[in-house]
Amino acid sequence: MKVLRLVGVTWWLQLKMRSRSSFDGILSIVYPLFFATMIFFMYGQHGDQETLVAAAVGAACMGVWSAVSTTASTTLQGERRQGTLELLVASPTSFPLTVVPATISMGTIGLWSLVVTLVWGRVAFGIPISFAQPFVFVVAAVVLAFSLGLVGFLQAIASVRYRTAWALGSTLEFPVWLICGFLVPLSLLPDWVRPIAYLLPPTWGVAAVRDAALGGNAWPDIALCLLSASAYAVIGWLLARRLVDSARMRATLALT
Amino acid sequence: MRTSLRIFFIGGMASYRALFNWLTPWILIPTFIVAPIFELLFFAFVGKDAGVGDNTFYLIGNGISSAAIPCLFAMGNTISNERYTGTLGLLLTSPARRLPLFLGRALPVILNGFLVSVVALGLGAVVLRVSIPAADWLPILVVTAVASFSCTGLGLVAAAIGLRVRETATLSNIVLGILLVFTGVNVAVSVLPQWMQSVSAVLPMTHGIEAARELAAGRSLADVAPLVGDEILIGLVFATIGFAMLLWFEHDSRHHATLETA
Amino acid sequence: MAVIEVEDLRRTYASRTGLRRSAKKDVEAVRGISFEVERGELFGLLGPNGAGKTTTIKMLITLLLPTAGSARVLGCDVVADAREVRRRIGYVFGGDKGLYERLSGLDNLRYFAELYGVPPQEQGPRIGELLELVGLSGRERERVEGYSRGMRQRLHIARGLLHRPEVLFLDEPSIGIDPVGARELRETVATLVSTGTTVLLTTHYMFEADQLCDRIAVIAGGSIVAEGTPAALKERVADGHVVEIEVYGDAGERIDAVRAIAGVTGVAVEEGATSQLLVVRTSAAAQVTPAVLGTLDGVRLGRVATREPTLEDAYIELVRGA
Repeated sequence: MKVLRLVGVTWWLQLKMRSRSSFDGILSIVYPLFFATMIFFMYGQHGDQETLVAAAVGAACMGVWSAVSTTASTTLQGERRQGTLELLVASPTSFPLTVVPATISMGTIGLWSLVVTLVWGRVAFGIPISFAQPFVFVVAAVVLAFSLGLVGFLQAIASVRYRTAWALGSTLEFPVWLICGFLVPLSLLPDWVRPIAYLLPPTWGVAAVRDAALGGNAWPDIALCLLSASAYAVIGWLLARRLVDSARMRATLALT
Repeated sequence: MRTSLRIFFIGGMASYRALFNWLTPWILIPTFIVAPIFELLFFAFVGKDAGVGDNTFYLIGNGISSAAIPCLFAMGNTISNERYTGTLGLLLTSPARRLPLFLGRALPVILNGFLVSVVALGLGAVVLRVSIPAADWLPILVVTAVASFSCTGLGLVAAAIGLRVRETATLSNIVLGILLVFTGVNVAVSVLPQWMQSVSAVLPMTHGIEAARELAAGRSLADVAPLVGDEILIGLVFATIGFAMLLWFEHDSRHHATLETA
Repeated sequence: MAVIEVEDLRRTYASRTGLRRSAKKDVEAVRGISFEVERGELFGLLGPNGAGKTTTIKMLITLLLPTAGSARVLGCDVVADAREVRRRIGYVFGGDKGLYERLSGLDNLRYFAELYGVPPQEQGPRIGELLELVGLSGRERERVEGYSRGMRQRLHIARGLLHRPEVLFLDEPSIGIDPVGARELRETVATLVSTGTTVLLTTHYMFEADQLCDRIAVIAGGSIVAEGTPAALKERVADGHVVEIEVYGDAGERIDAVRAIAGVTGVAVEEGATSQLLVVRTSAAAQVTPAVLGTLDGVRLGRVATREPTLEDAYIELVRGA
């Protein structure tokens, strides 16, 4: 109970902070629109209704990953610079528990991006926002944001130990968009990519969202998304302890 | 003049060394090489799925943008870095000439962008199985350099604005987005609605990318000369505007204390 | 029962230099210090910048792992029982950082109250009480990015006290604070101690240590060079006096000769804008002034004065000797 409350409070305050920043907040929502625009123009040339809806949904999901991957690896660096990282570690609360809600708040901002992208598709390109299973769509979108938040957690943890882990954040945007089939079906990618894709939560999350929009069965995808994301969270958790101890040993908590 | 050159090169060298001081291979490789390659692959595959454009189309578009876009940020980043380390005020009160000063600092980034683009184009061509005749490579690289130049011009405008506005990162990314959409990097300009095409015509990279695509299709440098000329012109116009803004903002700030130096 | 027990604590930092970070360089920041702090005591760790004070305190609050030696806070080992230690101590440091800029003071306190497990129903009243204590009532809803240095420091203290810690660690709390603010800070600290909280304070302000602390350990170059009550430390320099001589021009070579004079127990040089101040400590009976002036023959001199030694002289001597 106490844990839930802590997670809730942290999530809410982190969300507050991010929405007050033009970079983390506004840009996270606006930036994916540029990519969505390019994508709409590309699919708009030959695509039929269903292709366009799939493209719109895929582009919308891209924003969720964008919101997480671009901020996850720098969030702890920011805390370090702000002088609050030390305080988080010095508190009796388990350190990972302070990071998970933060990355989930990034996923939450990503949800905003998802909505805005869909609206943009409707307003600027006439792509309808009518989904086969609206309720399932919402569930799938929330699960996607949540699970991407957990992947972001692992990313964020890695940056506690290695001062230079931020580079990872800026390079993971496109690889994940491509490999996890946000837009391009996995069948178009080389065979050896598929097993990698299956191990990544976004693959299942995006599939779930797309199924809900186009009328497939999203539930197995939702389950697999949650399952794979939990695995990442567990890895992140185990790593967190080791990494914080290492940071305490090498005195990298306070230095920028 | 000699002082300007010194400021340009020595300042640039110092910046370059600083760039590598905290760079380990673990940052170098992901940031400079992996990211552009994946961006290229992403759009090439999307293009395939959407049935639009061929691999060469995306290779050229993304290759040039990976060279030119860092130039857009080079000077704006210089300014925000100086602001971050608290030295912007110091820099602006120095007697050094502004243009060589900022250009010198931007130089490592510009050169780096060019190098990255070359790698991206090369690797990309291999991965996507694009074959461009060897003779066409050099003209394409020349056009890339021209596009970089004109983006640097736009970058000067961005840098000037960056002196007045704090949130340069947000602004830079929005400009980046606009360029990606309007200049034909992944979407042919001819597909865009008329009003957008008008905007494309005055932006850097548009003509350069078109020229490079023509070159890849077998035209000669002489054939695309008008396009290259347009690109250079756009670059010069933006550079002039940017430089004028830079000087004006600085001048104005002494009266009204409007520069965001912190 | 000793609330803080430090035994032969050591901490070495490894850093890499060179273009490809290949050359390793070890810096021994803390070289085997030992001390104890009793319950309800206000203990000061006094020393110049770079002496190892912050490193020591960070080891005690479990942020840094010692390279050797051991430390126990409230009976719990700082390495093995880190979480137990964290639950019962508070940590406050000076400076601008350590707060969430985009959140209000109130939100900052709410967050840390949650982190430190303050029961939900108690959070509201406790936060209100602390805001009152540090004088921030009415400003808590403003964003921290608009706070002055003094306000931030006060919010820090409120933050450190949310969970009613038994031991409070203060790392250079009055740094950069104006005299009025610093005095209020000291009063707050003194009040805290009087209500039973044990406080370990690090500072390089000697008068602050003198005024506040029950006991002081002087730390320099990673080692403790003296320990005792302020009175005892002054005792060390109580006998003898100090001759201050204003010197124009470089007296550098003469210093050793001055030191060699019988009766001189120490010489320090303070650099001024246009002159140097030679501070010569002498033992009680010695009349060294003529001899010193003789050694300085040929050098242009200004004011010559004799005075009683202060704690500052003791401090400087201890610290320079390290």
